[in-house]
Amino acid sequence: MRLIVHDLTEEQAKEILPQDKDTTIIGDNGTIHHCIGCFGCWVKTPGQCVIRDNYGDMGELLSKCDELIFVSKCCYGGYSPFVKNVIDRGISYSHPYFTIRNGEMHHKRRYENHFRLSAFFYGSDITEQEKKTAEGLAHANARNLDCQTKKVYFAPTADAFRGEFE
Amino acid sequence: MKIALINGSPKIKNSASGMLLDELKSLRSGDCITEYGFHTPALPSEMDLEAFAQQDAAVFALPLYVDGVPSHLLNCLCRLEQYFVKHPSNLTVYAIVNCGFFEGNQNRHALEIMKNWCARCGLKWGQGVGIGGGGMLTGLQSVPAGKGPRKNFSAAVRQLSEHITVGKSTEDIYVLPNVPRFAYKMGAKAEWRQQIKMNGLTEKDLFRKL
Repeated sequence: MRLIVHDLTEEQAKEILPQDKDTTIIGDNGTIHHCIGCFGCWVKTPGQCVIRDNYGDMGELLSKCDELIFVSKCCYGGYSPFVKNVIDRGISYSHPYFTIRNGEMHHKRRYENHFRLSAFFYGSDITEQEKKTAEGLAHANARNLDCQTKKVYFAPTADAFRGEFE
Repeated sequence: MKIALINGSPKIKNSASGMLLDELKSLRSGDCITEYGFHTPALPSEMDLEAFAQQDAAVFALPLYVDGVPSHLLNCLCRLEQYFVKHPSNLTVYAIVNCGFFEGNQNRHALEIMKNWCARCGLKWGQGVGIGGGGMLTGLQSVPAGKGPRKNFSAAVRQLSEHITVGKSTEDIYVLPNVPRFAYKMGAKAEWRQQIKMNGLTEKDLFRKL
């Protein structure tokens, strides 16, 4: 399954993102709650966020995907608040225990699946420094999720990504 | 000096960010300190943005969330950017980011995001502090600042405080906890085991797959 997390409008999403049955699309319906840092998804309801809005099963969704794609406005060299919110709500994908990978401490895997991560950042005035930060961030995400980075794209508008997902 | 201390943790009480700011505050007894809690995606309702912009320094303390800034704080930063692009300020910004991992430099991307935010707002960047081993901080409240396992954390806060005094823009500093990495890793494991048992579950449940 391919998982796409985006912050586009409904109309943009319909035009730009693939609409096939093997793709799960997570967009902003205005109801997401922010992560409250309770770690309940590790110690109360392991694998599942304790906040039961439409975004409480991100960890499980990540466990079922072989490709993860973020489509996000570039905010200060990172994801937009909505896309980051979805990412924050998905930490139950990982196990709370630590492990050492490539000499650094990271979380152990909870699941066995391996996926490829791509980040499509859009914004009309993304600076070179912001691009550098965003590239570093996407690679750091991949290290922490123990997956591979496929691509990190930048474009002035999200329209430029049309056709990139086929 | 007029200094704003901004707690960017979603936790209202008992956060590592709050503890680090408390330690910084204890070093700034002669200053006019204003404390802000950015615990939700909305700025505090009582926040006076004009007064905030007139501070000499703003120190953000936040937890690392998936290599970056927690989403609720990003919302607040976006709102502040809208203000600062219309109201230029001489504020110097400092940030302390703590993570549960051992290595403080895993906070570097979040610190870069804070720096990039400053650039968008036209604010001066002071310094970033990346703290590793943040998971043990709240368990050290009874340990005096600068002593034992708090030694490295306190030294970083003290260094930051000195740079705030002179308004210096300088290199970020990264802090390792002064306990061995294997001991920190084992301690964290014991803590998770204890927490899941307190919720009536077993260690095996920590490994639950859905």
